[in-house]
Amino acid sequence: MRLGQVIGKVTLSHADPALRGLRLVLVQPLSRAQFAGAPLSPLAPGATQVVCDELGAECGQIIGFTEGAEAAAPFSRPTPVDAYDALVVERVTYSPPSIP
Amino acid sequence: MQLARIDGSVTGTACHPSLRRGRTVICQPLDAEGRAEGAPILALDQLGAGLHQVVLISTDGSETRRQVGDEHSPLRNHVQALVDPAITP
Repeated sequence: MRLGQVIGKVTLSHADPALRGLRLVLVQPLSRAQFAGAPLSPLAPGATQVVCDELGAECGQIIGFTEGAEAAAPFSRPTPVDAYDALVVERVTYSPPSIP
Repeated sequence: MQLARIDGSVTGTACHPSLRRGRTVICQPLDAEGRAEGAPILALDQLGAGLHQVVLISTDGSETRRQVGDEHSPLRNHVQALVDPAITP
């Protein structure tokens, strides 16, 4: 699971029937500095992800999302999803040791 | 499995039910010399790993789903073992 910030939403016009009704959000993964509380803008480098969200995460919120085949596990029928929002973050406590 | 160090934890306002079966910890993968390598990963901890403790995390979802006891869990990473400090890299 990785941390990312919700920066937008995706609505589909034509889609696989299995995707109908699913809420998709745009998520920018956090950099290690942002774990430690660095400002969230400018956005960290790295590909923006489209994540399936069933927890109602809003723009600006930080979420924990999982990727790969595990992201399709929560669904009762086969769903072509490979990123899933598992956690809407309230607080990040990050304190690495002084020696890296 | 991967060697990693616990560098923190995360609490949530909403989550998938399977995450309530443990603590969500921030794991920093380590290289052979024990230095930080790559981006931090979040994993579920049911063993009570302490801060800066070196652990083994699984990177296989099916194993994690079995250990968490929820076949619909989206989790992939799970703290499998606490590494004895005497042999920590």
